[in-house]
Amino acid sequence: MALPLPPGLTPPEIAFICEMELVTIIPRQRLEGLELLGGPLKPLNPPQRASIPLWLALLLKRQRRANIVPPPWLSPDSLSAILKYETEIDAFSPPPRLPPLPSGTSLVFSPPFLPGSTADATADALPYHWLELGSMLLEAAPEDFDDANEVRKLLRGLREARMAKLRQGVEVLDAGGGVKMNGVGGMEVGEARTFITGVVDGLRKIGKSREEARKERDRENGYSPSQDFDDDEMDMR
Amino acid sequence: MSSYYDVDAILTDAQKVPCTFELTVPGLGFLEGNMSGPMKSGSKVELPLWLGEMLALSQNMGTNTSLVSLDHPTALSHRVLNALKADARTVDLRSLAPHFYNLGARILELFEEEEMIEILSDAFKSRAAVIADQAHNPRGALGEGADFMRGLDENERQLFRASHDSAKAVRTWMTDLKK
Amino acid sequence: MDIDDLLAEVSVDSISQETRDLQELTRSWVAERVAPEILPWPSDLMERVLDRIRRQIELVEDQTGNMDPKTNFKLIVIQTELERFKFLVRSFLRARLKKIDAHPLHILARHAASATDLLPLLSPAEHQYLTSHQALLTSHYASSFLSQFPASLQRMDDTTGGISMVDKPDEDAAVFVRVLRDVGEVAVEGTDKRLEMKRGDVWVVRWSTMRGWVASGDLELI
Repeated sequence: MALPLPPGLTPPEIAFICEMELVTIIPRQRLEGLELLGGPLKPLNPPQRASIPLWLALLLKRQRRANIVPPPWLSPDSLSAILKYETEIDAFSPPPRLPPLPSGTSLVFSPPFLPGSTADATADALPYHWLELGSMLLEAAPEDFDDANEVRKLLRGLREARMAKLRQGVEVLDAGGGVKMNGVGGMEVGEARTFITGVVDGLRKIGKSREEARKERDRENGYSPSQDFDDDEMDMR
Repeated sequence: MSSYYDVDAILTDAQKVPCTFELTVPGLGFLEGNMSGPMKSGSKVELPLWLGEMLALSQNMGTNTSLVSLDHPTALSHRVLNALKADARTVDLRSLAPHFYNLGARILELFEEEEMIEILSDAFKSRAAVIADQAHNPRGALGEGADFMRGLDENERQLFRASHDSAKAVRTWMTDLKK
Repeated sequence: MDIDDLLAEVSVDSISQETRDLQELTRSWVAERVAPEILPWPSDLMERVLDRIRRQIELVEDQTGNMDPKTNFKLIVIQTELERFKFLVRSFLRARLKKIDAHPLHILARHAASATDLLPLLSPAEHQYLTSHQALLTSHYASSFLSQFPASLQRMDDTTGGISMVDKPDEDAAVFVRVLRDVGEVAVEGTDKRLEMKRGDVWVVRWSTMRGWVASGDLELI
């Protein structure tokens, strides 16, 4: 049965992805190691901290088998500093520093598979899934925060400041696409996707005749766009 | 080229454009209500875009004259383009043409007009910014924004609906978390 | 490179095959949900994932009925994760089915052209679904209305009049991409745009310009 959803990701799907983020817990009960489909889970030995996927942390938390250690960026001090940046500067606050690139052509990891939300994550940058992760932790484990209300308030402020930037960004959109949006978050992409791609696609259609003429000219001049893909085995029509 | 089953493209092509016959054509008089007579050279008639285009592109055997010459539809007249340049947000596009931008794009396939591309693109952008605000503030669409919303063309309506729905989906997810 | 980087690099290479596959499956699922056209079927990945799911289901069936509370909780964890994987795989397959249903003839032609590629476009099951579904539709169209049309108007893949009846997706549609490895300067055909795409960047760009780099793993859709 074909999927009845439009292209793009729904908020529950984005949250589902975010639930694969690793978070740090303090177990209150032992749990033997498990061979899970997504990789081995090390044994949990209280009170030794452990990093496990968010979905499992939420499950353990609900059953009072563990407490969650919120990531350092999810604290009033860090969030206030980032909020200050977001209100003063036009661009999004810079995302966390990336780990070094694996050698050669091996698989490159990206969120939710980078440790952006464990207890030893960086304190001064919002990771890709900041809003979803923050909201879920605040709902499931408010008592694990020093000041859940303050954190909640700051998250709301950040969300508003950043959504306003996204909406005002129409001015820089153009028909060729090619808009850089570094630092944007997962739920923000989910919320702004239809609008931003709708404007870019609309502009492209208005300017289509000019583009076609230009493509024809370029072809006559023997120019072809740079297509130096690593893998040209694929069918690239 | 748009897709075969695209209803919006079909509706766009059904919009009328002013055409002037350059030659007298026997038997075509019915297009202007002259049931059995010829279509006289110099007659002006409003024809659906698809038909006007076909006649304009078909050249009379042996000569270089087209059967018909096309003009800009009223929706894309100088007056409208000037109003868009002045303040695009106050123009009621829907009453001009329900598929205003699609019509513009089709006309631009037939006439090379750099300036019209710029005017339409700028209009679309400045109106999109208002659409984004309205979509995130549903009450605005009812109050002072109501006139603006009524004047949206079909593409703009779709843009509004899509942004409104995604904003709502995020709000719903946030409320559901609390359950 | 400082010691942190060295340690991080070691840890990246020590990540289990299972976790790598989950990263790849998640990436493929998101890409399929977001891209305007269907992407090549990741056959090796899907074979490994489906095989693991099968074994995990057997394990759960074996262990249910075991009343020991400790084992019981382990089973809850395993089953919760199993359901997550089943969701991922299901949603991935259904997103592909939606595209196959929307543009069957276009996809059939692309699949035929990809038959000798490293990765054919469709899985054998998808190809079978597409051809049997098309056969059913064709006979249904024929018996309900097409046969009453003049012979010259019966085709469903006509291209006369400058417009093809074979519908295809808008390949220039804008998408959100994340740069995984430096790509360098990218030219958008038909425009003056030159984009300098660096690792970690997020861009909104038309799909047709990006698909080669998504296929090679230098970019991912988000």
